[in-house]
Amino acid sequence: MIIKLERVEVQSRTDMEMIDVTAEVDRVVAASGAREGVVLVLTCHTSSGLLVTEGIECLERDVLAHLERLAPKQPPEGAYGYWHNRYLDFDGRLGFNAGDHLKSILGGVNCFFPIENGAVVRGSRQRVYFVEYDGPLARTVLIQVIGQ
Amino acid sequence: MKGGIDFHTHPLLVREMVQRHPGLAKAARETFLIGNTFQPLETFLLELDTVGLGRAVVLPIDATGTRGTTVYSNEQIAELCAMSDRLIGFASVDPCRESAADELEHAISDLHLRGLKLAPAMQQMFPDHPSLEPVYARAEALGIPILFHAGMSWEPGSRLAYGQPLRFEPVAADHPSLRIVLAHLAWPWVMEAVALALKYPNVYLDTSALYFDNPPDFLRFAMTVQVPLSVFERSLRRQIVFGSNYPRVEVKNMARAVRGLGLSDGCLDLVFRSNAETLLGEES
Repeated sequence: MIIKLERVEVQSRTDMEMIDVTAEVDRVVAASGAREGVVLVLTCHTSSGLLVTEGIECLERDVLAHLERLAPKQPPEGAYGYWHNRYLDFDGRLGFNAGDHLKSILGGVNCFFPIENGAVVRGSRQRVYFVEYDGPLARTVLIQVIGQ
Repeated sequence: MKGGIDFHTHPLLVREMVQRHPGLAKAARETFLIGNTFQPLETFLLELDTVGLGRAVVLPIDATGTRGTTVYSNEQIAELCAMSDRLIGFASVDPCRESAADELEHAISDLHLRGLKLAPAMQQMFPDHPSLEPVYARAEALGIPILFHAGMSWEPGSRLAYGQPLRFEPVAADHPSLRIVLAHLAWPWVMEAVALALKYPNVYLDTSALYFDNPPDFLRFAMTVQVPLSVFERSLRRQIVFGSNYPRVEVKNMARAVRGLGLSDGCLDLVFRSNAETLLGEES
């Protein structure tokens, strides 16, 4: 039985951004030595996401734009407000990124793939993305292999 | 706006510095009370990039006398600034020490820092206390600006009274060539801070105010309801500087809030760039 957990740091460079981490997932699986099993991928942060979609730039823009429409950083004037606008003593600062937390919930925070013959099994168009909703920040993505 | 300056940041989350000086982690958590994850310096610079700013003033606080610690020493600020030419280092001195004025001169002349940060509430000394006079006189002689924490402080034990704007009036009046910045719009006493700036041309205000709601809503309240926006646009356009108070507030969020107030493009250029350059003695 092989169980291996790796923490991968991802540096986002702007406010909202999709970062393809497929190669990192493949690397961790290959290094684990597992021939059969599963690989789990999870973001550690509640204002970021982890999702699977086709790896083309236009679709990346559409994903971010649609999530911003669903959960805008600043709600339309007079429409509604966020409760998450208050001083958080445990952080020493105000929380005011409710829209980014909501995007994380809507877009999801994890994914998994089977491992077969030592390689990740995924659709030909599928890519694994870390999604930044409140950058730029250095973020941590967990990649765990469970196999044999 | 390219080339703009964030005049009010605290480099508390810079991971490289925490790795070199583990005591900075304790100062960040226990004295400054910031809980965010430590980040590479690159993240801070990317924050500036996100909103098109070129440089940032990085501030220490010397609270040795009251808290037994510095939140960055002057030497550590100089060390940080050596990592990036986009950082403008300020000094801090503990006004309780008789050597404070000499320490300030050392920081400016030998460490090449560019201004002085004082935090009356954390340092528990009113800005009009006579023992600060040698420090003000030295700063005036050195030709550097002083940025004061003014208005409310979040830190436990920091009394609001130390931040009342009228306690800064003797400094402005007695040192007309000393440029002083009242941070955080001296909130909640915005009107009093504006009155000081209207009366004394050597008094500047910075925008780093956020005490409830979110940056756009709070600044709209402070800069259009508490005081009409026209006062900043017409009368104080050369005495307002952009400050974010990072990392309590992200640079991007405060910058977008200031840009969304409705100030003219010309005024925004003064706020984000020109006034800061004037304070730093960089005007052409």
